[in-house]
Order: sequence, then structure tokens, then C-alpha cells
Amino acid sequence: MNKLKKKYINFGWSLFLIMTLTGCKDYFDVGNNPNLVTKPNINSLLSTATSKSAINSRNYASFSTYYTQYQASPSEGSDTDTYKITDLSSTWGDAYYAMADIYDMLTMAEASNAHLHAGIGKILMAYNLSLVADTWDSGPYSEAFYRVPTVTPVYDSGESLYQSIGTLLQEGINLLSRTDAAVVLMPQADLIHGGNIASWTKTAYGLLARHQNKISKKSIYNPSAVLSSIDKSYTGATDDMKVSVFNGNNPWAAIAISNAGSLLGGWLSSQLINHLNGSTYGVKDPRLYKLTDATVHGVYVGTRNGRGNVGAANTIKDECYISINSPLTKTTAPIYIMTYEELKFVEAEAALRANQRTRAYSAYLEGIKASMKKFQVEDAGVQAYLAEKSVSVGEAALSLDEIFKEKYVATYLNFEAWNDARRYDYKYKGFELPYNADLPTFIRQVAVPVREITTNPDNAPAAQPVLSTPLWWDKQ
Amino acid sequence: MKHLFKYIVLLMLLGSAAMAQTITGKVTSETDGSGIAGATVLVKGSTNGTSADAEGNYRITLGSGSTLVFSSLGYKTQEVAIGNRSIVNVALSDDNTQLGEVTVTAMGIERAARSLGYTTQAVNAEKLSVNKQSNLVNALQGKMAGVQIVSTGGAPGQGARIQIRGINSIDPNRDNSPLFVIDGVIMDNSTSTQGSTARSASNRAVDINPDDIENINILRGGAATALYGLRGSNGVVVITTKSGKSGKMSVSYTGTFGIDEVNRVPDVQNKYTQGWYGKYDKTSFWPSTGPTVEEARKVDPSHPAQLYNQFKEGWDKGNQIKNNLSFSGGTDKISYMSSISHFKQNGIMPSTNFENLQARLNTTIRPSSKFSVTTSMSVNNSGGNRGNPGRYNEQLSYWSPRYNIREYKKPDGTLFMPYPALSQNPIYIAETNKFEDDVLRFVGSTKFNYTPFEWLGFSYTFGVDTYRENRLATAPGFQGLAGELLVFDNGGTGADGKGFIYVYNNKQKSFNSTFLVNLSHKFSDDFSGTLTLGNEVFSRNIYRTATEGWDLAIWNWFSLSNANRLAAATYQADYRLMGNFADVTFSYKNFLFLNLTGRNDITSSLLAPYNSFFYPSLNLSYIVSDHLKLPELIDYAKLRLSYAKVGKDANQYATSQGFGSYTGLPTGYTGFTRAALLGNPLLRPEFTDTYEIGAELNFFNRRLRFDGNFYNSISKDQILSVPISTSTGYATASTNVGSMRNRGIEITLGGTPLKTPNFTWESDFNFSANRNKILSINGDLGDEIVVYSETGYLSADVSMRLIPGESYGTLYGRTYQRYYTSEEKAAGLDKALKIDESRPIVIGANGFPLLGATANRKQLGNVLPKWIAGWGNTFKYKDLSLSVLFDGQFGHYAYNKLDNHIASFLQPTYTLNRNDHRVFEGVLADGTKNTKEVWLGQGIDPKTGLNYGDGYYRLNYRGNSEFFVQDLSWLKLRSVALNYNLPKTWLPSKFMKEVNVGFTGNNLFVWSKFNGYDPESLTTNSGSNVSGFAGFTYPGVRSYLFNLNVKF
Repeated sequence: MNKLKKKYINFGWSLFLIMTLTGCKDYFDVGNNPNLVTKPNINSLLSTATSKSAINSRNYASFSTYYTQYQASPSEGSDTDTYKITDLSSTWGDAYYAMADIYDMLTMAEASNAHLHAGIGKILMAYNLSLVADTWDSGPYSEAFYRVPTVTPVYDSGESLYQSIGTLLQEGINLLSRTDAAVVLMPQADLIHGGNIASWTKTAYGLLARHQNKISKKSIYNPSAVLSSIDKSYTGATDDMKVSVFNGNNPWAAIAISNAGSLLGGWLSSQLINHLNGSTYGVKDPRLYKLTDATVHGVYVGTRNGRGNVGAANTIKDECYISINSPLTKTTAPIYIMTYEELKFVEAEAALRANQRTRAYSAYLEGIKASMKKFQVEDAGVQAYLAEKSVSVGEAALSLDEIFKEKYVATYLNFEAWNDARRYDYKYKGFELPYNADLPTFIRQVAVPVREITTNPDNAPAAQPVLSTPLWWDKQ
Repeated sequence: MKHLFKYIVLLMLLGSAAMAQTITGKVTSETDGSGIAGATVLVKGSTNGTSADAEGNYRITLGSGSTLVFSSLGYKTQEVAIGNRSIVNVALSDDNTQLGEVTVTAMGIERAARSLGYTTQAVNAEKLSVNKQSNLVNALQGKMAGVQIVSTGGAPGQGARIQIRGINSIDPNRDNSPLFVIDGVIMDNSTSTQGSTARSASNRAVDINPDDIENINILRGGAATALYGLRGSNGVVVITTKSGKSGKMSVSYTGTFGIDEVNRVPDVQNKYTQGWYGKYDKTSFWPSTGPTVEEARKVDPSHPAQLYNQFKEGWDKGNQIKNNLSFSGGTDKISYMSSISHFKQNGIMPSTNFENLQARLNTTIRPSSKFSVTTSMSVNNSGGNRGNPGRYNEQLSYWSPRYNIREYKKPDGTLFMPYPALSQNPIYIAETNKFEDDVLRFVGSTKFNYTPFEWLGFSYTFGVDTYRENRLATAPGFQGLAGELLVFDNGGTGADGKGFIYVYNNKQKSFNSTFLVNLSHKFSDDFSGTLTLGNEVFSRNIYRTATEGWDLAIWNWFSLSNANRLAAATYQADYRLMGNFADVTFSYKNFLFLNLTGRNDITSSLLAPYNSFFYPSLNLSYIVSDHLKLPELIDYAKLRLSYAKVGKDANQYATSQGFGSYTGLPTGYTGFTRAALLGNPLLRPEFTDTYEIGAELNFFNRRLRFDGNFYNSISKDQILSVPISTSTGYATASTNVGSMRNRGIEITLGGTPLKTPNFTWESDFNFSANRNKILSINGDLGDEIVVYSETGYLSADVSMRLIPGESYGTLYGRTYQRYYTSEEKAAGLDKALKIDESRPIVIGANGFPLLGATANRKQLGNVLPKWIAGWGNTFKYKDLSLSVLFDGQFGHYAYNKLDNHIASFLQPTYTLNRNDHRVFEGVLADGTKNTKEVWLGQGIDPKTGLNYGDGYYRLNYRGNSEFFVQDLSWLKLRSVALNYNLPKTWLPSKFMKEVNVGFTGNNLFVWSKFNGYDPESLTTNSGSNVSGFAGFTYPGVRSYLFNLNVKF
């Protein structure tokens, strides 16, 4: 009978176990991912937002710099070089992931009256959205980032995105002027301006100047609005919108290092090199020696877009590449999003269009000097260059050609150069179509990302655009 | 518990002190006179019993009673009156009707084999160990129908992939490998990729010593696995380890020693040497685009007379050694089996190795015939230095065969390079760039069995599987010596070549508890039933840390405090599951059986109310031969029919949303970013319906055995993380959308073609074919999932994608353009995903075929084999036995990245036509036939004076993925094993009972069209759902093993 008793004890004990486990809901309540947080720290979100904006300025430049012929591929007939349809799905995603983080920061900031975070958030949102708008024309914004719970957000038109960007910048400026922010902005968390609100306001006006100047082909273009934004923007290189904090090396330097290690990339275009080495303009630009290194033959040679490597084998260093010896692309160089010198050329352009020649010419010269300084050209070199007749053309003779010619060097490896090239209709001296180009004219936009066609088919443009079709602001 | 212990001790004392009558004898088989190991001997009318040893000898102490009952699986039970004998020998006759054969089914429930309405297939110890595999998954290869096993490479300890009846989940992040259950414990068989996905890691079943295994039973299909619930939805591998046999202690030693060599390498040319455009340059990066060796030797007398072949010389001879010692014995009350083993293997890739030290103790305590406690415990320590075969092969492909790859080190120990264009030697990097894992694991279970009445039984099993895994990756930094070369691989982000130390830790533990109540009842002479009720609880906790330090201050001191840069992360995952289930079987006249099951799961990976769900199964077994009179030649005929519905929960945390760490920032900064997955709290369980029909037939006194199955299973509402528009801020969303079908056949044929007193030939053949089809992925949100891709030169990238209407795993790549008229192009026909072979290739104005746009990739093949088969033969002549096993997998394709690389450098043999002229077959853009002759060489064509630039192979051939997605079908002579049992008279003393010597050859021949290493080797690891990438892999090895087995 002892055994029977034990049986009941055993049975009862097990039954108890079952009951407890079934009854105890907590036991199964481990479904929430412990590796995620639901309430992130707003300053950490600011770090993400500023870091991603810088990385995106680089990611968008990594294709546009082939179109502006700063870079050329070492392989003949490369898709990007020759204007073939490429899939920029991940580049598209980079901007949207950044904007989603910024959107989440904005939502948090609005809920907690963190006006400074909100102001910076609006400015960064505007910047990232402009990358999308200037690459694809239209794209989701009003329904994007899951702000309305849909996984197939509608596309806003290019003009509507343009409006949104303008609004965001103005709202950003307004928020930055608030003195009642309820959350402290931690300087260390702001990778762009280290918590300096005055600089942020200047940056917002700088972006606004870019924005207003972008519609130079349109009848609504207003150069005096551009100039009044410029007045409130940068006064020197210390204001530059840049980021120096990243994992490892500057991403351009990383390409240069890989190229040295036979993972080829970062080859400079013959267009750029000829622009600088005297072939095109007959003047040797001293920035050339600070931008790249001489070939094994001691000369400066670029690679023609679409042509790929010519001459010796592609591992022989007989052409020029992005260099880790350049102040702009060394391992510790910051990523420049927008610079003082660029804005000086925006000023020169707007002033010239407004027929304020004196202001235009002095901004033009100041832009050259600031750019030379960024490249760390010695004073003698700067003076010699400025003394060249083709450079110091004088107030009366200054034309858009000189301004765009100089701005082209100042915006080396910056995405903004593609906006300029399109506004200027690629009329840089010597600028030719890539070898075996897929289009009869210069490229004006890129194909809709494959990922969008497959995941958002009802909203993405039904047909791929012809890549030589201008965006709305690029049309007369 | 205290009482129990006392009771046990008392019984032990009693047992050893017994002085009553003792009977000994031998139980043999009537057919061949051999001893029947483990035969049961019972005193009739009592619970007093014992089992025979390995030779069939038994000893039993008689208290009362006068009749012994002898029984064993597959034999007819026999009763023998003792009379006044003290030695009783019996010969049992075969039981052809399998009346009593018992099979261990789900949850360890024993059922008469004849009553099962589904198929199970078992592999016993002898068949399992015939080819001396150290990984038990590899040991199953070729021996089972419906089971696809791929040894992902020949690295020591490298993981083997196992999939039963194909892929069951569309979501590439889901686990498709079966559940492993060892002695009632759910055992983790994952493949960890912590720290690196490239380092040929082990699947964790490697921790189990194959020599400890008594039997592996594979349950495939919903009906067989229904009681295991959702965790069994990919099939179940039920492992039973050896248990002690009562009797005198027996000791068995097994030693294996062997050598391994690379079994297959790509074909490379040996005519052209280093240089570019046919011009010799011994400092050039270009390994074989120079002139011929003869021409080079004219200008460079130091050029070797023959080129080296780095694809042969780059691999070492490997070796392996295993020593295994086991003990077993006991009384009828307590029996034990204990083993200890040590395995060490040095791989063919320099510096790779693996070591496994294992120990086991299994005990069974039977205080009474009604109560038993069985404990199984194993502990092991395994790990080794894991190579990076992808990187190694990439570096081999760059190497110039003008130089000896074995000269790689300067006297000061730093990298030596005979030519300046390259600064990487794979052997040097393999020796310095290390990745070692170290696993300490315990797997144990205790099972209590209590059977108070014949009709009522209880069992409770508690199991633990816990391990910690430490991984340590190190590389020395740059020393700054004069002329020292910087080794890029030996560095971290932003500090190339400056050394690193990465430390990864993983703690994993799981518990499972199973409680069963068994009831049986005989309603009438014809009608009986059994009922099992059960409860199962499973819990798993994972905690991982990663600390990465790089940029070492002192180049060779591997301490985290020596690193200038640091990054750290942690990961945690908890999972809980409980199932309640019932299983009821009715038997009618012992020829018709109906089995019904039901299970309800509660899971932590879904949220209430969807976290609790029920699903049933039904199966029917009909022994036709016992019901109807069949022709004489049929001994046994059985029909099976089953239906099962199996539920499945979501991947862990598919319901969660939140912010994760943003990793784009260095130490000192924290950032958060939206998690890539849009979690869905409303996820429902997914269900799979499986219908299966099968038959089992035995002919000619079981000399020929047939077992066949057809199954059809459809999963609906599959939980997927589908790619969504990234403009939502998410990459993927969890949702119930996918639907997939698997249908297939499985046939096993077994036979004894020859049987004489001295000679037997046993043959087993298995064949299976599975057809998979993705019925739908996601109607609204897009129609494909890109699972994985590998790069190719000139955008010849190949990706594996999932597309509705296609089988899982279609490979896509860049192809030549086919001719379409402008109207057809306007209609978009040229954008079709399939290649239209009937259309001619378009030839460009330059006379070469035109490569298609990179955005318009086309289908090049599927990664799943169309059919798989295995054929094992055992020949026995007196004491000599020979086993021969063939197996093969057919009709699948893979991307050969190695071939893409070496084609780019003109290394393969087929590039010997590099200086030929050719008119490419095809049409020009206007549709007219191409007649233009072109030269395939580099530079100026000597015939026409035209400049052909870098040449056909570099400008054209390597950009076409069609050339590199290759037929992977293979057939292998998997193993040949010759064993000899030394005659007893040769043995030195009576102390030695048995000595067996043998030779085994594994992976002896491979027949395949694939131009690369062993076609079984894969780039992806054994836990991955990606196959079809087979270029940069750890090559397969051919092994020659000598083994010795001694029993004391």
C-alpha cells in the first residue's frame, strides 16, 4: 500500500506542477525582446541622427560623384559611369532609416518640449529628405516612417517634397530660437555642432540658401531671398556642417586604403584631374597636389568615365586616386556636409543673378581662398593662383562659368555638386559624355529602386523614368 | 527520496549476497547460431529476470519457479522448463511476423511496430559506426530515406546540415533542421555564428559521442512527430544511448587513427605564367596572364621549370585520432554504461584543428519490477581553431603559381612575399589569424518509470542541456620591423594590420520536463486500446557577450587591456513552451490500428490570445497479411494512412518593436536606432497539414523488404518577416502570409540477396525525392525575398531568391542578352526571369556576346536536389566483413565563386584557348547572324593588329553568371570498411574476449561535373537555410582510417 500512496503523491505532485505552470502566466511572459528599448534616450537619438546624416551625405555622394565625374570606375563600361540603370535600393533605405530615427526623435522631443532637439531634428530631416528629392524627384514623406500605420506609403511629388523641406527648415529655425527647452542638449551627443545652437541656426540658413538657390531655373527663383539667407549663415570655416566621429577611418580614406590593397575603387576621373592639372584651363591649380598623389610616373592622370583602366595593369599605380594624404580624405578627415566655401559660391551665384557684381566677385574670391585653405594650400600657391588672369577675371567679366568652375573643386566629393551640374547643364569646360554612355545626353535622375518596385508597387512610379529626364526644378 | 535510496542499497546487498540456485547458458539465434545480445530471460510467473550479454550469455539466480521465458526483439518467445539443469542453452527462431517488435515513438512511448500508421526508420549502432564519423549527423549520411545531409566541408569538427523532407519554412531566418532528442532531453543542434559566419563552426550535435549511441530513430512527417508539437515540425531525430547490460563488467576499447587529404581541387592550367598581356613580369599582380613558361624561362632563368599549383600545395595532409573506452555491467537491479573518449583532428587547411573530450554515465536502477530510474549524463569539452576558408580560397585565387606558396615567412617570423604586387599569403594568414572555440557542455536526464498495474503507468523525465561557449579570435599586430609587410587581415576597423583580440561568450541552457500517464485496456478479445496523457515544459535561456579589442599596443600580447580600441555588445533571449497532449490507440484483432493524437501548445513567442493553440493527428495501420490470405511469397504486408496538422509559433521576438543599438559610433558614444523588424503583436500560429500514405511489404522470408511512402504537406499562414518598403523606416515586417507545399516519395529497399552459413550479403537502398513549391509569399507587399547573394566580377553576382510558383531557393545572376525584336522588347518580354534558350545570343558590334543589364537578372538553377539516394552493402564471410556505401544528391545547382575568381585571373584549364580566334554564335542587334571573328587574347591580335584590351576572359566571360552557376549533382563512394574479427584462438589470453581490426576509407570517389572542391562543401554554415553557394569552401577530405576494437 506504501507504493500506492507513493503513486498518488507522485501523480499529485505532477498535477500540481502542471497546474502551477498553466496558471502562472508570468512564466510565458518573456515575449518582449530584451535586446530592444522602448524609450530611448533623446540625446542618444541625436547622436544617431547627426551621425547618419553625415554617413548619408557620403553614401549619396558615392554614386553622384561618378555623374559629376570626380570619380571614374576602374572597369570599362561600369553601370554607374555609363548611365545604365542601377539599383540604389540600399542608398534609398539609408536616407529613410535616418529619417525614421529623426522622426522618432522629433516625436519624443515634441512630447517632452525638447525644442532644441526638435529644431535640429527638423533641419536634419530637411537635409536627408533633400537627398531623396534630388535623386528620385518623388518619394514618400507625408505617410512615411510609419507615421501613418501603412507599409505602402504614398509618394509625394517632387514639388511637394520641396515645399516640405522649406517648411522643415523654417520650423527648425523657429524652434532653435526658443529659450524654454525642457531637455538639456548634451554637447557631446551633437556630432555636427557640439551643441552650439548659433551654429545650427547658421546651418539652417545655409541649407535654406542651397534650397532657395536650387530653383535657379524656375521663374519663381528669387536671388535676394538666397542672399538674405546667406547673410544669416556661415561666416567662416569653423561653422562648417561636418562630422568627425565615425567608426574607424573617414569613409573616403577607407576606399583609398582598400584601393591600395587591390580592392579597386576611388579612381579619380580625367575630368577632375584635367580641370586641375592645366589640361583644361592652362592653369595648374595648387589644390591638385593636396587632393591626390602623382602617379608612379610622377604625373597627374585621371581615368575617363566609362573607359576603365587603360595603360598598364589596373594594379599599377599609373593614374590618380582618392588619397589618404589629402586634408579632405585622410583617415581622420571629417565628413563635410556643407562648407563655408560652398556657401560663398552660392552667394556669388545669387549675387551675380541679382546683378550685384561687387558682392558676387568678392564672394567668388573668398570662396576660392576658403577652399584653398581647406586643402591646406600654402599662401604663395594661393596668391599665384589668384594672380592668374583666368581666375582674377575682375568684377565686370565674372560669369557663372567661373563660379561653377571654382565651386566644382570646392564641392569635391560632395553630393551637392550633382545639383549644381544639373542646374548648370553640365557646361563645365571639357565635360564630356562617358565613353559608350547609355544615354545621348547627361544623366538627370536615377532609376526607381528595385526594392520600392517590389515592396511598394502601387505607389512607386509605374515605369522607370528615362534617366536623362530632368527633375521638376531642373526644367526651365 | 531517502527511502528510495535505502531501498536501493538494500537491494544491492541482497543481490550480491544471494546464495540460491544459479542457472547459466547462452541464447542463440536458430538461423545462424550467433548469440543474441541483450535477450531477456525471465523466471515465469515472477518479476525475476535478466538480460544476456553481448554474446548471448546469461546468468540468473533462481529463487523459485521452474520455467524460464526467453525473448528478444525479432524472435519468437520460448519457454523452457529447467528441470534439474544448471546450464540452459536455447535457440530462438526468427519471428517473421514481427508480432512483438516494439518501436520507440515520440516522447519515448513504446508501441508495437505493426500498430504505427506512419513510417519510422532506425539506424543501429553497427550501421552508424561503420564509417567512423566523429559527427553523428555525418554518420547518418546515405543511410536514411527522406533525409538530406550535407557535410558543409572537410574542416575538423565542421558542421553537417540535416533536413528532413526538405525546407518547411519560407522565412530564411527560421530553423529548418529537425529536433534532436537524446534520452528524452531536447538537445540543441544549432550552429553558432557568433563572431564570424565564415569560420566552419560545428553543429552542436558534434558534442555527442557516436560510439555511445545504441540507436537513432528518425521520425519524419506530421503524424510521427505530432506529440512533439511545434518543435518537431521539421522532423525529429530520437537518439537512444547505450545502457548497461547486467552481468560481469565488460570493457571495450576502440581506437581509430587516420589520415585525411583534399579529395578534389579545381582544374588549373600550368602553361602560362605571371604577367600581363602575355608579357612576363615576375613582380606583377597577375598570376597567369603572362607568356608560356618556356618563354619566361628564356628571360628569367630563375623561373621554375614547372608552375606550382597552389590549389594542391596549399592544403596539408590532415590526421585524426580517436580513443574510446567504455565499461558496462551491473546486476538485474542496477546496470551501468560509462564511456570516455578523446578525439583530435588536424585539418588540411593549415592550423585548423578540433578536439573533443567526452564522458558519459548511464545508469538504470530497478528496485522492483514496477519502478525504475534511468539516468543519462554526458559531459564534454570540444573546440579548436577554425579556419576562414572563404578568405583562404580568395587568397589562393590571387596567388601566382610561379611561386611556391609554402615559402611565406621571413626569418623574423613576419610575412614573406616573393613578389610585391600582393601582400597576402593564405598560409601565413591562417597561421596568425586565429579563431578558437571552446565548448563545455552537459546534457543529462533522469527518467522515473512507475507501473503500479499492468494497465497503468507513469513516467516523468527531467532533462538539462546546458553549455557555455567561449570564442577567442586573435591576430598579431604590425611590429614596425625594417621591411615588414602590413597584413591587412590582421587588423580591425581603422587600424589595418594592427592586431586584435575578440572575445565572445555564449551561455545557453535549456530544461525540459515531460510527464506521461499511460493507460491500457482490453475491451474484448478483439478490441483493445491505450491512452497516453502528457505534459511537456521546455525553457531556454541564451546570454551572449562580445568584446572586441583591436589596434594592439604590444603587437603580440593578446589582452583586452592591450587594445587601443574597444567595442562591446550583449544579447539575450528567453523562450518558454508548454504542451499538453493526448494519444489514444485502438486495436482491432491486432491487424487494424487507429491512433489519434491532440496537442495544445502555449508559447512565449506569440502573444495572447494567439499563444495557445491546438492541433490533432490521425493515423491508421492495417496489416493486410494478417487479415487476408496473400500469395505465399508475401510474408507481411501493411498499409499506412495518416493525416496530421501541426502548429508552429513565431521566431523569437517577431512580436516586438523597439530601438536597438546604433553601431555606427565608436566607443564613448551611444546611439539608438529603430529595430529593422516591424514586430507584429497580432501574429497567429501557422499550421501545416500533412497527408501521407505508405506500405510495407516483406517477401521470401524477409529476404526482401520494401517500405514506401508518399506525402503531401501544405503550410499556410506561414509567419514571415517580409521585406517592406524601407520608407517605413523598417526593413521587414512580421506577418502571417506565406504558403508552401512539399510533396515527395520515399522508398527503402532492404534485402539479403545471398545467405549461406559462411557468407551473407545484406543490401539496403534508399531513395527519396521531394518537390517544393512556394505557393505564395505576400500578395500585396511584393513578390520575392532575396535571401543571400555572393559577389562576382563584372557584376556577375549570384543571389538566392524565393519567388512564388518556384521551388525554394532559385539562383539568379547576370546572363548574356538573348535576341528579342523591338516589339517584343516594348512588351517587356526581354525582362522575363527565365532564360529563353531558344533565342540566339546577341553579339555586340565588337564581335563579343553582350552581357545583360545587371538589373535584369535571370534564373540559373535551383539549389535543392531533385532526388537523393543511398546504397549500403554489407558482405560477411566468416569473421570478415566488408561494408560499401554509395550516396548521391542530384539535380541541384550552385554558384562557384572560386571559378569566377580564377577565371578572372585565367587560371582554369579551360582558359588555355585564350589565344584562339573565334566567331561567337549568335545574332547582331538587327537579328542578322554574327560572322565577325574575334581574338580571345589580351592586347594586339597578331593576326589583325586590332587591340582587344584585357581580353575575352576579363572583359566578357567572367561577367556572365551562367558560366559559374554549375550543376552540383554528385555521386560518392561514401565509405568502404573492411573489418576482421580475429579468431579466438589467436587472442593472447582469455582475458580478451574479442579483437577486431579494420580499415575504413571515407569519401573515396566523387563523380561530379562541378569544377571546384567537393560539391558537398558549402560557403554557408550547417545551421543556414542557404545552400547553392559552393565556391570558397573548406574542401572535402578523403580519409583513410585504421581501427582496432578490443573487448575485455
